[in-house]
Amino acid sequence: MMAGLAIVWSQRDLVLSGFYNTVLLTLACLAISLPLGVLGAVFLLEAPNRLRRICAAFVDLLRCVPFLLLAYVVYYGLPELGLRFEAWGAGLITLVIYNTAYLIEIFRSAGMVLPREELEAARAFGLTTPLIYRRIVLPQIALSAAPVVGNQVIVMIKDSALLMIITVQELTFAANFLSTNYFTPFAPFAVAMLLYWSLCLIVELVVGRLIRLRRSRHG
Amino acid sequence: MTLAAFLTLITGALTTAALSFSGIAMGVPLGLVLALVRWLRVPLLSAVVAVYVSLVRATPIVTFALFIFFVLPSFGIELAPVPAAILTLTLNTAAFNCEIWRGALEIFPRDQIEAARAHGMTTPLLFRRIILPQLWRSSIGPLTSEMTILLKGTPAVAVIGVVEITRAASRIGAETYRPLPPFLTAAVIYTLLIVVIVAGQRLVERRIARLYGYAV
Amino acid sequence: MDDQTLPAVSASRICKQFNGIEILRDVSLEVQTSETVCVIGPSGSGKSTFLRCLNWLEVPDSGAVRIGGRPFGVVPLSGGGTRPMSKTELAAARTRISMVFQHFALWPHLTVLGNVVEAPIHVLKRPRAEALEEGRRLLDRVGLGHKADVFPHTLSGGQKQRVAISRALAMRPEVLLFDEPTSALDPEMVGEVLAVIRDLAAEGMTMIVVTHEMGFAREAADRIVFIDGGQIIEVGEPEAFFERPATERARRFIARYMK
Repeated sequence: MMAGLAIVWSQRDLVLSGFYNTVLLTLACLAISLPLGVLGAVFLLEAPNRLRRICAAFVDLLRCVPFLLLAYVVYYGLPELGLRFEAWGAGLITLVIYNTAYLIEIFRSAGMVLPREELEAARAFGLTTPLIYRRIVLPQIALSAAPVVGNQVIVMIKDSALLMIITVQELTFAANFLSTNYFTPFAPFAVAMLLYWSLCLIVELVVGRLIRLRRSRHG
Repeated sequence: MTLAAFLTLITGALTTAALSFSGIAMGVPLGLVLALVRWLRVPLLSAVVAVYVSLVRATPIVTFALFIFFVLPSFGIELAPVPAAILTLTLNTAAFNCEIWRGALEIFPRDQIEAARAHGMTTPLLFRRIILPQLWRSSIGPLTSEMTILLKGTPAVAVIGVVEITRAASRIGAETYRPLPPFLTAAVIYTLLIVVIVAGQRLVERRIARLYGYAV
Repeated sequence: MDDQTLPAVSASRICKQFNGIEILRDVSLEVQTSETVCVIGPSGSGKSTFLRCLNWLEVPDSGAVRIGGRPFGVVPLSGGGTRPMSKTELAAARTRISMVFQHFALWPHLTVLGNVVEAPIHVLKRPRAEALEEGRRLLDRVGLGHKADVFPHTLSGGQKQRVAISRALAMRPEVLLFDEPTSALDPEMVGEVLAVIRDLAAEGMTMIVVTHEMGFAREAADRIVFIDGGQIIEVGEPEAFFERPATERARRFIARYMK
């Protein structure tokens, strides 16, 4: 086991670059899918009935499909339609599509539970719909949805590991590479698991901060 | 897509269903055992379970599958891909189920427990006769959600060579150079599987609500 | 040891603290067989804690409890001194002293009859048929025979509490403890529950009732125990206690409640 650790240490650049890719994919995905999720949720809350039902069904359908299948569709399937991406790009697109579907649902349900009177009061004061969203709805959703979004981020980090199968060189890819090339499976995977664990703990820490912030503001 | 390809997909779907079912059938009770260790605050073991649950919940299934498949042999345990996949899924879902069971145990009404104690029940009897019959009813929603998550997580075991539905679809796609039809068929089959699970949950919940008058 | 002359319940010098706050200080009480004792006092006075110390739902920090002359919660050692009862011993001891809770604490997954026979069958190992027959009789007695096969959620609060009383009686306990049995009830349901307790008193059941119902306490109790600030302030016959309380604290308490 010590020998394995020594190998991991000697190949730390590889492990770190895998870790870096995992973090980068997660952050890039968040940067894109958070705003998309909010827009999607607002759309689902405000769009005319017919359109809304079609979009809701589409979001629900996406949530029934496993992540890896979607990754295959994007990486192997879309070229059939003339859309071709590098593995990394295909991975990011998959992450974004998949997570946006979940985030839309998260923000939508958070928006649904806002007190009616609050919104009616805002309308009574003459606030327009965009203004209501910007000033009243979104700031509250941002805090109240934080724990669920945090869970989703953890799911996202773990889903990104599946991208190794379409050859994205993230953390699990690196661990698997070391394991097969140096015939020492324990240390690389154990280190990868510890790194995933620490990422999740960091997310939980941030969520914990947000929850405390919310308590101090809204009781 | 040919008939042969479609049959391959169906076989893959059956594999997916069988893997998930095995994982659930073992992971749900195992999760309950882990939750009890935590709930009863068994010294030392309780801390071990806490660490295990936290670590496994944070580990991607694909990483965990590789770990189990490649690391166990160095401890002298050789597992074929399918048993290794089932072990992975079981250990993974058990960690999540542990938290579900534990959550339900923590909020179990204290007064019912006290009434049982006041009527002379020992802890095993209290658990078997009073807590368990209510616990599974109140956990059925979260447990079902976890089942659908596990079902969606099974493609990860393709990495250790198990041909489940996603892997089958990608093979067909590679052979026919037309990957979209098998992928979309697989997506439809997946959706059907999940609809079946969720419908089953609704059915059970409605029966419970009608019979005992508490919504779950 | 179960001599007629021994008190049914004897608590001596019970002390209990929660997080460094003293809840009970040196509380001693003896209750004779067939006696009904009502424990009254302001909220937070420690009266419920005292009741819960009698069947070890709260373990006293010090002091001793005897039920029918036998030590409860601890086992005397041959060389003197005591050791705490094991969980199994404690469970067995608790079958001799049953309890009715403020919030009924019925088990919602069992029918009304199921609630009543659960412990007799599974704890006392009584034959099923016998337990069911006695369970039905006990439900008839509290006027709920026709509800035997429904689930608790369909019952009113008063009905639930009467089921809880049947459930406690099914243990054939030596002593029955009531922890504010009517406090969680709508006013119109208080009477039906108190009527059942009154009947039990008349039949000679040994009972300790923590209650806020002064009228009931005055009429049904053999003795009143007034607890305030974690101590027994006054003990007396109902008539004397309510008409001529000996202490200033009891006088003020009664004056406030009788208004």
